[in-house]
Amino acid sequence: MHQFKIRRILLEREAGEDSIAQRIRTRLPDVPITPVAPDDLALDRDIEELDKQSLRMVHFSGEFLKPCPGTPRYICCGYQILHVGINCPMDCSYCFLQSYLNQPSLRIFSNLANKLDAIGAIIDSHPGRIFRIGTGEFTDSLALDYLIGWTDTLLPFFSSKRNCILELKTKTTCIENLLKKRDVGQRIIVAWSLNTPRIIAHEERNTASLESRILAARSCQKAGYVVAFHFDPLIHYPGGREEYEEVVQLMERHLDPETIIWISMGSFRYMPDLKWVIKRRFPKTQIFDGEFIKGLDGKLRYFKPIRVEMYANLFEKLKKWYDDLGVYLCMESDDVWSQSLGWSPEKTGCLSEYLDERVKKLMRG
Amino acid sequence: MKTPLQSTPLQVEISDIDLSPGPFCMSFQFSLEKLKASIDRFGVLNPPYLVKISAFTVVAGYRRLLAARELGWADIPCRILPGDLQSLDTLLLNLHDNLTVRQFNPIEKGMVLTRLARYITEEEILRDYMPMLDLPSNRHTLRLYLGFEDLDDAVKVSVATGRLSVKAVEAIRVLSREDQREINRLFTTLKWSVNLQWRACLWITEIASREGQSVREVIEDIAELATKGTMNNPQKVRAIVKALRERRFPAIMESERSFKKVISHIALPSKVRVVHPPFFEGTDYTLEIVFRGGEELMETLARLQNTAGLDEITDFWKTKT
Repeated sequence: MHQFKIRRILLEREAGEDSIAQRIRTRLPDVPITPVAPDDLALDRDIEELDKQSLRMVHFSGEFLKPCPGTPRYICCGYQILHVGINCPMDCSYCFLQSYLNQPSLRIFSNLANKLDAIGAIIDSHPGRIFRIGTGEFTDSLALDYLIGWTDTLLPFFSSKRNCILELKTKTTCIENLLKKRDVGQRIIVAWSLNTPRIIAHEERNTASLESRILAARSCQKAGYVVAFHFDPLIHYPGGREEYEEVVQLMERHLDPETIIWISMGSFRYMPDLKWVIKRRFPKTQIFDGEFIKGLDGKLRYFKPIRVEMYANLFEKLKKWYDDLGVYLCMESDDVWSQSLGWSPEKTGCLSEYLDERVKKLMRG
Repeated sequence: MKTPLQSTPLQVEISDIDLSPGPFCMSFQFSLEKLKASIDRFGVLNPPYLVKISAFTVVAGYRRLLAARELGWADIPCRILPGDLQSLDTLLLNLHDNLTVRQFNPIEKGMVLTRLARYITEEEILRDYMPMLDLPSNRHTLRLYLGFEDLDDAVKVSVATGRLSVKAVEAIRVLSREDQREINRLFTTLKWSVNLQWRACLWITEIASREGQSVREVIEDIAELATKGTMNNPQKVRAIVKALRERRFPAIMESERSFKKVISHIALPSKVRVVHPPFFEGTDYTLEIVFRGGEELMETLARLQNTAGLDEITDFWKTKT
């Protein structure tokens, strides 16, 4: 298992007594710990470099469970984000966090365990609703699990909830803790972000290879987990069509399609300011070579026929492999859905229902 | 109140002064003519400040010294600063001396920031000195200006003289010096607006990346347009921008052409216009009718109802991928 380098721990005063902070201190006995006040940012390094080797333990006072903001004027999936931390030890060129974050370092919310009762109360107060919850929006769900033990905290909690699922999204093979916890994995979906080997090599620094991600998914399937995949961001480049097809072939070779709950597709999109951060940090990146237009939400995205072509090609290959993979589009318009997949949920609420049905179908018990 | 800076007056031989741009210099691309005329007539009103390191090093008054030398002066009245003065103080003396009498060009601002960065933290620069130089206090801008020292010399001259915009530099600064020179040549042979210059920079570099060509090859392809004798300067710029746009966005331009072709075959009433959704991303077209009164509007609507070919307005983005 890959372990990410942590050079120092910044311990915010109130986080000292939190269980996650105590655990990290024992897991990283040789890493220096510097106590800091919550508003003390003097030790933070360059925000643009994101300082991915400093672990800052934060006693988070904000809301842990929040609806995904989605994006205006496109169809979204109605997901809930569980905020366990911000920033990630990997370094993908296209990562939106580069222009989103206003503070560097890996920020871990050390009081997560104390907040689970409140989160449980929200979930329990809507028994008729399915909560699709994920921790992988602002960080990788598993990359630091070997240190923080998110799965130790979250899996027993979510296994007792009948009206929700927890999706753990990753680009790693950090599944050791998961494999030890088969008995509490009923409401857990382990998901991988997928891309072509070329994009992984050039644009996803410090992440696991495609093949090892797929093999890790197979191990999780064998251990009884339902899995999911996210082709996001799809990057348009010469030869990309064939290379994305090869990704599907690899999935076909190793995975059982019957326990894949969903596969999403989303094309590369970005806020205008992000381009300059990326160009500075990754001067050789080719992710901006495509034809981008300003979308209805103000983000730059590929010209519509390019998106449709990418989605339709990939969907065709996935469908040929197995006809019930729960393929959906992330933040796309009604006409792109129709042109690419041959159907459209038409609005966010209907996509949510579609995904809820997938939960009911695959997550029995 | 701070203690006034101690200095000693001294008449110094110009040949004893190191006149290469030293560690405190913040002058780039300037003309000495007006200064020479002034010194010739009235002498040096404000003596240069020097510090003795091994030779006399210029702290403030670099241009005055060059002007005096060009006027053939053998010596010049100066003020000598104590040798133990902190380098930062010496640098700040020159900065304040300059700020009171002139504006810095962008390259000079980069020089100031680069020199300050040797002695103080980024936070201090952002807080105290970026506003002083009329720059926004953010790291992005600071990095951009700190990078000016690495630009090709010809590019520096263009930036200092305003022929190449700072915004354009942002797009080309990661390029090799040879590529920077090529782009610089394109922009200094024709007069460009800041915005078009920036777009063209971006598109040239992105076309090179998309097509696996060098920046020079891309520029060579369009250079012919810049030399066409039949076009005036703005026409040449427009032609180059159009050619770059066609090449950078082939699918979008193809859809634009399909749309225009269909619309051009529809005999729309006068003062009526069909506008496609921006970049064809949305699905709704707009019909614009200009009219003076209800009667004219009714006439136009009646004519529109009988206009053939309106049903051919469709999803033009589907024409090409």
